[in-house]
Amino acid sequence: MKVYDVVPGLEFDPERDFELSPAWFLDGTHSVPPWTPMFGWFWVSFCRHGMQWGAEKLSLPTVKGWDWRFMNGGGYLTLLLVKSEEEKQRREKKFREAILPFIKDYDGLWNGFVQEILGRYEALKQLDLDTAENIDLLANFEETICTCRRMWEIHMYMMYGTYTAYILFENMCRELAGIDDTNPTFHQLVSGFDNKVFQVDKRLWEFSQRAREDGLEKVFLEGEVDGIKARLETVDQGRSFMKDFSAFMNEDGWRMQRMSEINLPTWVEDPTPALVNVKQFLQKGGDFNLEAERAKITEARLEAEKAVLEKVPREMRGWFEQLMRLAQKSGVFSEEHDHYLDLYTHAMIRRIVLGMGKRWKQEGAIDDPEDMFYLQPDEVRRAGINPDQFDMRYIVERRRAEWEEWCKHPNPPALLKEGFDLDQAMGVLVKSNDPIASKVVVGSMPQVRPELKADLYGTCGSPGVAEGPARVIMNEDELSLIQEGDILVAASTSPSWTPIFSMIKGVIVDRGASLSHAAIVGREYGIPVVMNVFEGTTKIRSGQKVKVDANMGTVYILDK
Amino acid sequence: MAQKWIYRLDELRSEHNDLVGKKCANLGEMVHMGMRVPPGFAISVDGYERFMSETGAGDEIRKYVEEAGESLRKVEKQVEAGRVIRNIIESKDMPEAMKAELYGFYDELCETVGKPDVAVATRSSGAVSMPGQMETYLNVKGKREVVRKVIRVWSSAFTTRAIAFRLEKGMDMAKAPIGVAVLKMVSARCAGVTLTVQPTTGDLSKVVVEGNWGLGESVVSGEITPDSFVIDKETKEVVSSTISQKLRMVVFRKDGIAMVSVPKELQGKPCLEEKELQEIVRIALKVESYFDMPQDMEWVIDDDMSFPENLFWVQTRPAKFSKKKEDDSEYLAELMTRIFKM
Repeated sequence: MKVYDVVPGLEFDPERDFELSPAWFLDGTHSVPPWTPMFGWFWVSFCRHGMQWGAEKLSLPTVKGWDWRFMNGGGYLTLLLVKSEEEKQRREKKFREAILPFIKDYDGLWNGFVQEILGRYEALKQLDLDTAENIDLLANFEETICTCRRMWEIHMYMMYGTYTAYILFENMCRELAGIDDTNPTFHQLVSGFDNKVFQVDKRLWEFSQRAREDGLEKVFLEGEVDGIKARLETVDQGRSFMKDFSAFMNEDGWRMQRMSEINLPTWVEDPTPALVNVKQFLQKGGDFNLEAERAKITEARLEAEKAVLEKVPREMRGWFEQLMRLAQKSGVFSEEHDHYLDLYTHAMIRRIVLGMGKRWKQEGAIDDPEDMFYLQPDEVRRAGINPDQFDMRYIVERRRAEWEEWCKHPNPPALLKEGFDLDQAMGVLVKSNDPIASKVVVGSMPQVRPELKADLYGTCGSPGVAEGPARVIMNEDELSLIQEGDILVAASTSPSWTPIFSMIKGVIVDRGASLSHAAIVGREYGIPVVMNVFEGTTKIRSGQKVKVDANMGTVYILDK
Repeated sequence: MAQKWIYRLDELRSEHNDLVGKKCANLGEMVHMGMRVPPGFAISVDGYERFMSETGAGDEIRKYVEEAGESLRKVEKQVEAGRVIRNIIESKDMPEAMKAELYGFYDELCETVGKPDVAVATRSSGAVSMPGQMETYLNVKGKREVVRKVIRVWSSAFTTRAIAFRLEKGMDMAKAPIGVAVLKMVSARCAGVTLTVQPTTGDLSKVVVEGNWGLGESVVSGEITPDSFVIDKETKEVVSSTISQKLRMVVFRKDGIAMVSVPKELQGKPCLEEKELQEIVRIALKVESYFDMPQDMEWVIDDDMSFPENLFWVQTRPAKFSKKKEDDSEYLAELMTRIFKM
């Protein structure tokens, strides 16, 4: 029987792909655990497209974006470097023009894109999945593909442009004020801003206040978290609470529990994770006030700004301050783009894929709506208009079996051509000057200072010192285990984890750089984050007492 | 293994970073831009690896590291490891075939300069950033000494800090992506810097040349007030020149450099002749237009040679700052372009 590719044309092929590049890196942040075939197709096809599109639109002088391959549910990437000196110079000339819109009107640029993409989502949501004709379902699916493609274009164009400004600001801070982005003062400069993700947190917190006022505390705090919704529906106050909560979910709940996968419910479908957040706010008690926290951080920022500006020679302050304002937007962008771009688009993909899945089940093409996750779009097209004529189960069965195998065997962190080592491969990454590679993927390498006698060395993502019991969280399901005052230990964190930052005292992540999620959110909540410790989740066990000193980039396990 | 492991500088370009390290690759690129660099040659990363495998030093290091195992996590042990590994490397003689080739290149260099046993500097040229200062050896004379110092540069890749870094990263301890630059020692009559933008005003129509007697360190570090010339890019005329009392200068000593007094008769004399100044400006403008960006450059005038062969360049990079222009946006765009050059 012929075995079909999951992402046709982009399956990893050692023979050809090592010729193109000797080193391919696993995108551990997004493709561990392995992607389902359907999601892998979307990501590899269009993240790849978006990066190259963004790099080209901006004419980045040294890098033409990334190339991606799919292997056993993992996304592998490599950088496309600009090869000749002449081409670099040609690209530089264009870049100087192309970057101007970011400098001149950042907000206009970003808000324009947000409006555009929200418009697309609105159009997609117009279709009533239960009553639509098959032909309309397929059209909606195709339109979702186009939306995903467009989302990645906006995503990577904005990300490259924004992070370039951030890196320049960091360089200038190093030159003029002697601080870089592993320094606590630097982090004060870029935190204390509001953004969409925090607004959602605030709404959740307000719901917790309302639950208390309405006497619903017990419903939240007693019994299993899975039953909160059902228990609320049994009392008047609870029904009215749920009505407003559902309206809120319909507006802002278009997010996946796992940012880069579609096989888990959105908050719209299952509000339990959001209700758990409300519960966690309730457990914190009434004295907690997000806005007061934010005000403190904003104040610290204003002071840091003043101190740094004083070190900058007077004649440079004009452009330096303009640059600082721009760099400060990158943290906001980092969080908001997850909300408006990745999470929302993936929720749209899930919506139509499951909508078609329901129909296909009724018409006999598959056994379960979720079987769709094991197909790829060409197969969806095959049976899209007449699912009653096709039996797709044989593909689903084979792919599901493959996917289950992938889940059992972790993908290697890098695929290297014979004779090529990881050290050389990292050299290529660094040499690219790729703003995303250096600020999100690779990060700064920790400095090992044996005299500090720490158990783990990392880099500062957010300043501060904290001590508490460790809570190792390997996936979203375990988030409800978090207790007030814990130190979170994870491979990395995702935007839907944001609300728990209000409960924890510190964060340790295996990988990450100063613009990755944990760092940005840690800074906004004023808790220490140590990142790039590489072995946090393997060396630390839940319950162990740990001390995090983000200022020094160290982690101590206090009871070994 | 017949692979080439020594290169002439004009065979190299900036994309050969992985082959010979950043310093050598940059020197090669400068040659191609028409900048004269001190004559010399580059030993590639392959040269290092060939030495390590042919002499068995690589295997010995690997064995030592394996046996040391977990104990290497302790800092005392790392200090000892550095000593042991450097001993392993430095105790090896260079294989005959390699030696013969290196001698050949050195002889050719002596011939080019027209001096037997010409003094050279051997400097490490790392392909990736590694912590820890690697050694530079100045004033190396004679082929046997050159071989010895090349091996010393290789072994200098094993400082305690570099060992700690490799352990942390899980890198092969026996590997070090370093090349070596072997360059004629320039006997500097005078040296200095050239900026193709006026740093104080951001004026892009002028070139600024600053220099002092001796090596360029005194100018770069700002410890003395150098001679300063401002030249108009269009007319090539000297718009202003300030000849300072130059009381101190930096010279080579047997093991390194030293700050000494400038002889009385030279203190008030310009360190550059008009034709030398014009040659500096000519090359600087050429390089600026090659990069399409203001440059910050370092040059040396060699006392052994005659004009124009005596002008050597040792560095060029984008000029760091210029004062804000009317439009900050354009200026920021230009600064952002520069971060891709680092």
